[in-house]
Amino acid sequence: MSDANLPETTEAPFVYDYKTAPNREIILPKTVPLPGFRAYLAEQKAADEADAAKWLKQLADYEAAKSKAEAEGKDAPKPPAKAIAKKNDTEMTFPAPVDANDPDLLRLMEILGLKVEEAFEQGGELTCQVAKEHILEALRLCREDASLKFEMLADETATHYPAAKDFAFCVVYHLTSLARKKRLRLRILIPEGFEPESATQVYPSANWMEREIWDMFGIRFANHPDMTRILCPEDWEGHALRKDYPVVGWGQRDIDFREDRSGMLNRIALEKAGQLGINLKRPKAE
Amino acid sequence: MFKNEEMEINLGPQHPSTHGVLRVKLRLDGETIKHCRPMIGYLHRGIEKICENKTYFQGQVWTDRLDYCSAVANNLGWAEANEKLFGITVPRRAQYIRTLLNEFNRLASHLIWLATHALDIGAMTVFLYTFREREDILDINEAFCGSRLTTTAFRIGGLREDLPPGFEQLVRKFLAKFPACLEEYENLLSENRIWKKRTVGVAKLNAEDAIALGVTGPVLRAAGVPYDIRKAFPYAAYAEMDFEVPTRTEADTYARYLVRLEEMRQSSRIIQQCMDGLPEGPVMAKIPKILRAEVNEVYHATEAPKGEIGYYLVGEKGSTNPYRFHIRAPGFINLQSLPKMVEGSLLADIVAAIGTLDIVLGEIDR
Repeated sequence: MSDANLPETTEAPFVYDYKTAPNREIILPKTVPLPGFRAYLAEQKAADEADAAKWLKQLADYEAAKSKAEAEGKDAPKPPAKAIAKKNDTEMTFPAPVDANDPDLLRLMEILGLKVEEAFEQGGELTCQVAKEHILEALRLCREDASLKFEMLADETATHYPAAKDFAFCVVYHLTSLARKKRLRLRILIPEGFEPESATQVYPSANWMEREIWDMFGIRFANHPDMTRILCPEDWEGHALRKDYPVVGWGQRDIDFREDRSGMLNRIALEKAGQLGINLKRPKAE
Repeated sequence: MFKNEEMEINLGPQHPSTHGVLRVKLRLDGETIKHCRPMIGYLHRGIEKICENKTYFQGQVWTDRLDYCSAVANNLGWAEANEKLFGITVPRRAQYIRTLLNEFNRLASHLIWLATHALDIGAMTVFLYTFREREDILDINEAFCGSRLTTTAFRIGGLREDLPPGFEQLVRKFLAKFPACLEEYENLLSENRIWKKRTVGVAKLNAEDAIALGVTGPVLRAAGVPYDIRKAFPYAAYAEMDFEVPTRTEADTYARYLVRLEEMRQSSRIIQQCMDGLPEGPVMAKIPKILRAEVNEVYHATEAPKGEIGYYLVGEKGSTNPYRFHIRAPGFINLQSLPKMVEGSLLADIVAAIGTLDIVLGEIDR
């Protein structure tokens, strides 16, 4: 192989700028879809008030138009009619949240008292939000209390709420009682950087689930036996399930070899491609 | 002279007995496993992230690719979780057909488990027998939805189409011959001396540990806990079906083998009942073309062949895609119990332990 055929290697090696590549723009959510009975009531109230205000405005407009028409001697305008609610012609009924009525939730509220921030039922699922510092106590109670006895932690995961003001993540625990055939959801709201107590101290099955949460959301758990990443490699940048992480993630290798700090592999690839008559270099933006 | 030396070896990621790309880091003292650490993530595709950026309907094709041996069971859990989120009632006929296909899928998954598990341990012949019957089930899948493995069988609200003509004959033909096939497998394995030596008392996991580690499915039932979501939290048409939940108390690999074989028998019973009692009517609920959610969250778990598969969905008001889409994969949680099963046992037993957990790396890494 003669060196004469190789392209000039004096210029800096081409590095694919993966951080500005297309498909990587981040669209942050604008709302905080955190289900809850109080939030639902507030939303309903706001919607009702908006409806009432709209109706009052329509009436006022009508009165004004009527007096104007009378003054000008024209026919009176049509009086406004209340909007009829759209008929639900589908077989869908949204399960609205209702206040806590289940004995399990009442028992939790009775024992934990003010540590329960919210408890409600929605579509047959029980949810209990506890103060973030007391999650371990709540889990232990759920497992050991004779009338609760949730033996198994079926699932633990988190959700990122970048639009929320006083918290950043919601961590949910799905408990199952095998004997009583019941499910319960516990949840905590935590700000960025807060380390909740690890559920492994009560339920050993939380081990991998919490490792996954650390991997995907960047929430560290205190007193966890093995707080390492599980699905991504240890040196991965960022946490993939956060809303500020693009779908086509960081670290995708197009033709850039990111671990190739010296640029050697990159240059070899370009040279080989050049020998084959392939131009791997991106045309410069004008 | 080598008495106190421990050796560290890697099983996988490229090892035929790890059913994919599972890496298990082992520390051995002679042939005894002192420490075992499963390392996963080689097949991580970010399905949860992808589904959060697709519409509610589009998520289904990704669920096919979780546990590709039991795509229908994944579809069923996904469809029901979405229906719960939107409050959709599915017609009864669709429920029956779903149940039927789901049970066929359980058969297919257990057949492939039996084949590969026996192959790992050294019994080659069973593989050829079970794949023969699995082929028939894939043909039934194909007759129903045109696809054999990644089925995308259901839609939110029911099914896309009713059963095709000639479907019932296919099912009846299969049901007529399947009990004899099950007997063939049993004749090959159940009293086989080598099979029993490799499985009896191997990879034990008692009920207490299994519950603490969140293990579900046949592994839990072989430890004597009769927890089957089809009975505990009935979904689809399981409330109307008459079937038993097989349990064993030995909690070893052989017990899990017997539990799964009995489950196959029960599955064919359920299929029979579905086919006999198939109600008439529509197969699709009336739902809008574009689904827009309200603020709601659901966790819906169904009994997949491997265990409890759960979908956790969070809906955003007015949005067409889920705000959060989380999959509780049975294999992911079950694999956690591998160190508990094998630590202190011989190196050869880990192959049996991985086989008996019935893992598919597609759902573990997601």
